[in-house]
Amino acid sequence: MAKRTSPIRVRKLDKNIPKLANDICNQMLTDLENAKRPVIEAVKCSLDNSNYSPKVGYFTPGDKRVRSELNVSSVQKLARTVFMLNILLKNLKSGAVNTKRELYYISKGFMKSDAFYKPLDFEDQAESDGVVEFICDFMEVYREELNCFAGDRGGQTYSKNLIVTETLEDGTKAVVDLSTLGTTPFQPKNKPQSFQLKKKGKIDFCLVVESEGTANTLVANGITKRHKCIVMGAQGVPSNGVRGWCKTIQEQLKVPIYFYGDLDAYTMQNIFRTLKAGSAASLIRNSDFSAPDVKFLGVLPEDVKKYDLHCYSVGEKDASEARSLKKAKDVLANDPFFKDKKNKDLAAILKWLVKEKKRCEQQSVFSVDPKNPRILEEIIVDKIKKGSYV
Amino acid sequence: MSRITTSSTAEYFAKNLQQVGFSSPLKAVLTTLKEAVDNSLDACEEHGIAPELTVSILKVGKGSGRNTDLVEIIVEDNGPGLEQGDLAKVFGEYLASSKFGRGQCSRGQQGIGISAATTWAQLTNAAGVKVTSKTQKMRKAIQCYIDVDIKGNKGIIKKKETVDWDKSNGLRVEFRIDGRVQLNGDGGLITYLEGTTLVNPHLSLNYKLLDNDWVHVGRVSDDVPKVPPPTLPHPHTMKLGEFMTHAGLYGKMTLDKFLKKGFSRISDNTIKDMMKHGLKKDHLKRQLTAIKETEYKSIFQAIQETDLANPTTRSVLTVGEEGLAKSIQRIGEVDFFSVNTRKPKICDHKPVVVEVAIARFINRGDADDAAQLIRFANRVPLQFDKAACAITKAVESVNWRSYGLTQPKNSMPLGPYVFAVAVTSPFIKFKNASKETIDASDELVEEIRRALMQAGQKLSRHIKAEHRAADLERKIQHIEKFAPILVHGLAEITKAPKKRELAATEGLKKILGRDADDAEDKLKEAEGRLKVLKAKQKKTLGINEQQEEVAKEATKKNSKKAVKKTTKKTVIKKATTKRASTKKGAVTKKVAQKKMAKKKTTKKKR
Repeated sequence: MAKRTSPIRVRKLDKNIPKLANDICNQMLTDLENAKRPVIEAVKCSLDNSNYSPKVGYFTPGDKRVRSELNVSSVQKLARTVFMLNILLKNLKSGAVNTKRELYYISKGFMKSDAFYKPLDFEDQAESDGVVEFICDFMEVYREELNCFAGDRGGQTYSKNLIVTETLEDGTKAVVDLSTLGTTPFQPKNKPQSFQLKKKGKIDFCLVVESEGTANTLVANGITKRHKCIVMGAQGVPSNGVRGWCKTIQEQLKVPIYFYGDLDAYTMQNIFRTLKAGSAASLIRNSDFSAPDVKFLGVLPEDVKKYDLHCYSVGEKDASEARSLKKAKDVLANDPFFKDKKNKDLAAILKWLVKEKKRCEQQSVFSVDPKNPRILEEIIVDKIKKGSYV
Repeated sequence: MSRITTSSTAEYFAKNLQQVGFSSPLKAVLTTLKEAVDNSLDACEEHGIAPELTVSILKVGKGSGRNTDLVEIIVEDNGPGLEQGDLAKVFGEYLASSKFGRGQCSRGQQGIGISAATTWAQLTNAAGVKVTSKTQKMRKAIQCYIDVDIKGNKGIIKKKETVDWDKSNGLRVEFRIDGRVQLNGDGGLITYLEGTTLVNPHLSLNYKLLDNDWVHVGRVSDDVPKVPPPTLPHPHTMKLGEFMTHAGLYGKMTLDKFLKKGFSRISDNTIKDMMKHGLKKDHLKRQLTAIKETEYKSIFQAIQETDLANPTTRSVLTVGEEGLAKSIQRIGEVDFFSVNTRKPKICDHKPVVVEVAIARFINRGDADDAAQLIRFANRVPLQFDKAACAITKAVESVNWRSYGLTQPKNSMPLGPYVFAVAVTSPFIKFKNASKETIDASDELVEEIRRALMQAGQKLSRHIKAEHRAADLERKIQHIEKFAPILVHGLAEITKAPKKRELAATEGLKKILGRDADDAEDKLKEAEGRLKVLKAKQKKTLGINEQQEEVAKEATKKNSKKAVKKTTKKTVIKKATTKRASTKKGAVTKKVAQKKMAKKKTTKKKR
């Protein structure tokens, strides 16, 4: 058995987490000894504290901080925070890894077995998740750096030209040649940043498709055979796994990445924007979890006209659609990403959606030539060739 | 070609009784009772008599229709009684009313309701209403049966006789109808009777419902409300046809005199303004009889174009905050209440006054149930079709959460509350002839909203005091629960010695003690405000000490939110020392002494 080496890192971290935690707790204890209210400060993760610069490419945190000062209202939150931090530190020490759900049950186990901790009991996982996220925010570390991983969905990847090498914790290396996987996709998990990617020949582009099903269709119809490319299914709003994986592809392979999805406000502001620039909720991790070079390939408003694609009307009567429209208007007015001149073409798409009150699905392209199963592939390749993307 | 026929008013209503509240056996009983009680109360008020009503509703057999009972409804009053000549008109003729279009805030208006009840009795039990009447002038009372002559819209008196009656004056009506009896709930008889007593503090009521015992509700006010006399009509509330008919009543009179004498809010100055809007000078000095119909139209248009002062609000009647405050105590054991009478206001060109009483009751309703809403129009409870009513819309549009109540979005608030909202106006715009729903115009809904919000502000003083008490308890509990875990966790991560842990525990005690002090100060402040309000209410109601004690005791039991008698410091001590200082031993003698002293002070305060 190979000798255990240092844990695989998401990034080069200049922090010693156990020491940092110890310092924070020590300060809190000293404050309490002096009858002074301990304060924990964290980055404010919200849109009003998000900065966007096209040079950086993703949302970065502003100066605003959230202060949690000890008082009768916050004593529960702080007690839970210290309790969870203790569990995470023990995990780091032993090398144990857990998901957020597992941490929820581990906490419940402690509370069940020791009456002393019973008052901390979490009613549901959302409560314990909030505590984990708060710890990440005030320590400014990634959840993965605290050995807490999510069951990330999405990111199913197909290619005939990509080899992935993963260095495992025990030092052994796992090499996956994606061309040998047949119709089975490669799915990165947990720490895609730790992969070493190698091109097998030339790769022309990487295509991220919003619908996992449509990505599968493209591959089944032979896109990866006919083109030197990588095809990935995002499966809705990109998870950390998908975001980190796109970032790794961008950084290591330096190939153009295109996103293809629905033409609607939700896709533009929740899916594509998160993939390209990260999100306000994850300000401290956007640098490693966004791919600023990704382009919006479609569906574009011009495609709707050019190919006479079927659209659905977006009404104010439907609650979710009305909410989506309202959010789109808010985003245009307040989101620094869409307000930036560099992204004016993307903002123009949102404005078109708000004005036209329409949405067009990514699969509608199949109506252009119902007899041609490769029609989507042909249109995508044509669009890339002609530079029809934003 | 089919023959065109005409039918009488009675024929129309006999075929359309559902339009006037007789749409089901259940509603028939309530409507009959309501019409009889309304008439009695109106008659008493008109003659300055403090009403004393006796109501009895019994099942006396099987009804003629399927799933119905034969229900006997008796209403007896101490009113002026009716002369023999009026009996047939009142009970047997439609649209025979002393109040129609007079512009007064009386309960009855059109003279349809009681005749409809007679028709229902006639249609379902083949017998009209049995009436016993005695005026002060009569030596003996008249007793008879009255039927409606449906073809001719006339009352028919049958089996008339004179009888001895140990009353100087009064009226007794006995209906036997097909119906079904519902006591509780929105359409229940008890709800109706409670509502009626609530807005009629001067009413003394005895009632017996089915097999239940007789219930006596004494009056809480001896002042019989005087229904303000009607005022002259306002030209902006009229249509052209009404305007011309009104002119016809004044006969030979010049137009300018007619405008000044026949309407409110018209003076020489306003007539000058009307001339600017097209009223011709030669019309003003012309006799009304000499004005042509086409000319009336241009005159009417000029009047409508002219800005006039709003109609007077003197014609509206209020129950009054004092009356409502006293009266609300009659419908149950009240925990606390808030009443509000708005100043009369013009809504949709009509004078309106809105009154609100909100009370939390002990042993009535549940914390998770929607509060009960009792709606009134001209002091008559409205019990059906509440969804479209202006009152319901106004109640649901208020954010009751800001006053401390629980409320699902755009719905009635929850809890053991009764919301009584009374709209009084000489011209209430109902949505239907059965007068069950007030039309929800924006202006009226806004006026009701304001009344509700003012009442809500008063109510919130009670609720806030409770919340503060609960907050203090919650904070104390929070400290007790979480403080030791926090300190222990920090000590474990930092591997701090026991000494540090104890010092931190002491520090934490001090910090959180300050917070609890703040909460206690806020509680005191809220209690102080509440005390002022209670003193005002006490003055209004003249509640005695014993009643107050009962109410206090009930509040404690009901809310379960009373602050623990343990003082905060003891709790903090107990809590924070639970784990950290178990080895150190128990509370020191000094702390124990402090604890006792604090207990004594707290007791004194209470």
